[in-house]
Amino acid sequence: MNADKQLDAKGLACPMPIVRTKQAIDELAPGQILEVQATDKGARNDLSAWANSTGHKLLESREENGILTFWIQKK
Amino acid sequence: MGNKVAIIAANGGMFDAYKVFNIATAAAASDAEVGIFFTFEGLNLIHQKALRQLPMPAGTEHFADGFAKANVPPIPELVNMARELGVKIIACQMTMDVMGLKLEDLIEGTEVGGAASFIDFAKDANISLSF
Repeated sequence: MNADKQLDAKGLACPMPIVRTKQAIDELAPGQILEVQATDKGARNDLSAWANSTGHKLLESREENGILTFWIQKK
Repeated sequence: MGNKVAIIAANGGMFDAYKVFNIATAAAASDAEVGIFFTFEGLNLIHQKALRQLPMPAGTEHFADGFAKANVPPIPELVNMARELGVKIIACQMTMDVMGLKLEDLIEGTEVGGAASFIDFAKDANISLSF
């Protein structure tokens, strides 16, 4: 999936993946897509919950070799 | 509709700091309006010097390795993050007087208020927490 911006949140522990995602999405325009990579196991549920709270759309998530990747579209 | 989160921080250890600032930053990053009322030992968490050396509960010193391994952010970083995300920091005037603290001892951006200030902030909060 083509992303307009990438965020490397690998190695960060809660709550930093969420905080960095918020900061990154603030820099995008509505409709643009942010790709987030994280290794915090809690991020899988947290990113989804965060999207639910904020109204941004979690388009897809994937796990490969312990790395979680999320694509989020700004509302 | 956005969430509004009202938090009371009344304890001054390192674990207390993580509980308060993790929830506060996660809420603020989720577009909630967040305010924290720091009272009694909770004032340690926003005291410029004390927040850099908050004690771990007795008998839990062995968790220090776990904190390092888990790459948990240091408290000063979380405090700055909370401020950058617009978390409202209210210090309890009465306990500041009891503990001999001045506004300049506390982190920048701290507002001083009494119980009524917190109640006014919390009256329409849909999430209220006490640590």
